[in-house]
Amino acid sequence: MSAPATAAPPTSARGSAPREPRRRHRNTYAWPARAFSLPAVVVVAVLLYLPFLWTTWISLTEYDGLGSPEWVGLDKYRAMFDDANFLTSLRNTLLWVVGTITVPVALGLLIAMLSHGLRFGAWLRLPFLIPYAISGVAVGIVWVFVLQNGGGLSQALDAFGLPGADTRWLLDAPMNTVVMIGAAAWQQTGVNALLFVIGLQSIPREPIEAARLDGASGWRLFRHLYWPMLRPLTTVVVGLGLVASLKTFDIVWIMTQGGPGRNSETLAVTMYEETFVNSAYGSGSAVAVFLSAVTFLAAITYLRRQLSTERTV
Amino acid sequence: MRMRHSGLVAAAAASVLVLAACGGDDDDAEGATGPGLINFYTDKGAWEPQFLDVSDVSELSLGLGLDFTGYSDADQYSAFIRQSFRTNEKPDLFTWHTGSELEDLVAEDLLAPTTHIWESAVGNGDVPEALREHFTVGEEQYCVPMNAAYWVMYYNKAIFEQYGLAEPTSWTELMTVADTLKDNGVAPFYETNILFSFVWFQTLLAGTDPELYNALSSGEASYTDPGVVAVMEQWRTMLEAGYFGDPGDQTTPQDQLKNGNVAMINFGTFLSGQLNSVAMESGTDYDFFVIPNVNAELPQTSLIFETGPMCTAKDAENETSALQYAEWWMGEEAQTTWANARGDVSFNPKALVQDQPLAELNEQSASGDYLLLERYFEATPTPVLTAALDGFSAFVTNPGDPMPILETIQAEADAYWSSEG
Repeated sequence: MSAPATAAPPTSARGSAPREPRRRHRNTYAWPARAFSLPAVVVVAVLLYLPFLWTTWISLTEYDGLGSPEWVGLDKYRAMFDDANFLTSLRNTLLWVVGTITVPVALGLLIAMLSHGLRFGAWLRLPFLIPYAISGVAVGIVWVFVLQNGGGLSQALDAFGLPGADTRWLLDAPMNTVVMIGAAAWQQTGVNALLFVIGLQSIPREPIEAARLDGASGWRLFRHLYWPMLRPLTTVVVGLGLVASLKTFDIVWIMTQGGPGRNSETLAVTMYEETFVNSAYGSGSAVAVFLSAVTFLAAITYLRRQLSTERTV
Repeated sequence: MRMRHSGLVAAAAASVLVLAACGGDDDDAEGATGPGLINFYTDKGAWEPQFLDVSDVSELSLGLGLDFTGYSDADQYSAFIRQSFRTNEKPDLFTWHTGSELEDLVAEDLLAPTTHIWESAVGNGDVPEALREHFTVGEEQYCVPMNAAYWVMYYNKAIFEQYGLAEPTSWTELMTVADTLKDNGVAPFYETNILFSFVWFQTLLAGTDPELYNALSSGEASYTDPGVVAVMEQWRTMLEAGYFGDPGDQTTPQDQLKNGNVAMINFGTFLSGQLNSVAMESGTDYDFFVIPNVNAELPQTSLIFETGPMCTAKDAENETSALQYAEWWMGEEAQTTWANARGDVSFNPKALVQDQPLAELNEQSASGDYLLLERYFEATPTPVLTAALDGFSAFVTNPGDPMPILETIQAEADAYWSSEG
């Protein structure tokens, strides 16, 4: 096997020994490897990049799905920011980001910490994990039965003589968004707990035992030991939650269809509504491009910050 | 080893069979030896048994049947049909909407004209002349009526009998019936904040000022017209007085009527079929009446009429057979089968509708006592309708000042009609 051409360059070109002709690294596997990766590259290009480019092009046009798109430049983007429905959708999506990151992450961490090291901890976590096995659509249908007017929650409150039986959980904004975040948290908490448990199990025993010997326990132990050591897992859990919350669609579509009067729409629902309900493909594509850009930037910014922080720790 | 070879042989044989199956297209009506099949697409997936009932009859008498594909989601269906025109798989027959959605397809030259079918059908007395205008764009007719429905008030007979109520013949009597029900803890009317949130706006405006109703649909009147505002205020009063059931209740209307959640439902006559499907019997468990005008001084009773087209794509693979099928669909044989399978009325006056109240309504509607008005959903251009549905949905959920809603709808209407010139 030939040695890699990684010799350090001379400090000064002048007066240095004549450089050996650089030998090109010949890898006999390069072309077969490229050939094998070609189908995957083609599939990704055809199914991912081309549709994205097409969507971006459509967002610059007036198009109702019939005939040919008509170029309008950035008009659809300008109209998007002037549209009250879009701004409501943006507000709701921000609520989803905040709610989905804080509630299921905090609850998942709490469950993981409380059940960690317990003899029957796995059984304790199981009920929280089961909802994750259910599809988002099924979760939406179940929670509609619970939260609709006169539904399970209202009946239960009424039966126990508690206030709130007349509350219109799914009709009034922003409460409908808040309760739907609760339904999503119900589904997401278990898997977050599971991920945190994996993180906890990967923490070596020695520093924990040493900290205990030094008298650390409870909150101090968590804050100064568990929490920093769980940071890689937290980065993953929050990163996944961030992306999932930005593209929230199924549960909202099933529970409220973005209504009433479009007051519970998220950006993904607005994208669908404009494209497929209103047949305004240009407007829908503009929302899609905006949502993609926001998701990409948020994910990249968050991960870069987290990873750079980890390197400096 | 033998097993491995056997597996390879079996896999090869299966591949050959799969390829053979993919290679042929036996659905081509022109090429078929038996009854030909025409591709038929609809967003009324739940109506498949009824469409297939008619298909059974057409196979016998016409030699053509329907290769049924039913969508249950209207939005997905609309997107599918729109995109199909960009491919070589254009639908032979498909259901669509009248009004601006029909005009959109014609503007792009995507539909096969049906003028010759209409001339023949009108001449034969298979369809009222008045229906033709809903299928006319420019000088030509496109598509044929798939169905027809009138919007009437269904009621639960047991509840009416329990409180000694009779079918009202005036708006005042209708309100008295509603008050009686309300006083006894029964929600008089069905209301929803999904899709059909326009129904009561339609009923109140058509029963108050039918000219304004038509002018609104054609862009000649404004949503901020005092007449429209007054109708919204009346609707608001009724909402706040507790005349309606829960608009957020997602229980189907037929179940709400059956369960007694509401005593009356303002709905299209296709509800008969849906009520029959939940074991309610016409004349025994439920009945209906034509909704009286709000304005008692109007010379005719406003009756909301709805029709949905069945269209043929231009240059579809089986275009000729599809048009032949469309022609047959308008005839007495097809419409008798269709109306009775659906439990609904028919646009064809010769169709023998077995449901007696529906048959009587079919006859009465042609008399001079009624003013037929196109359903708001079809009569309103799509962008305006979208804004209106959003507004009405919010209004029935949280009744309040209607002006912001009406101004929003009018802004859409202004944009639409100015672009239409």
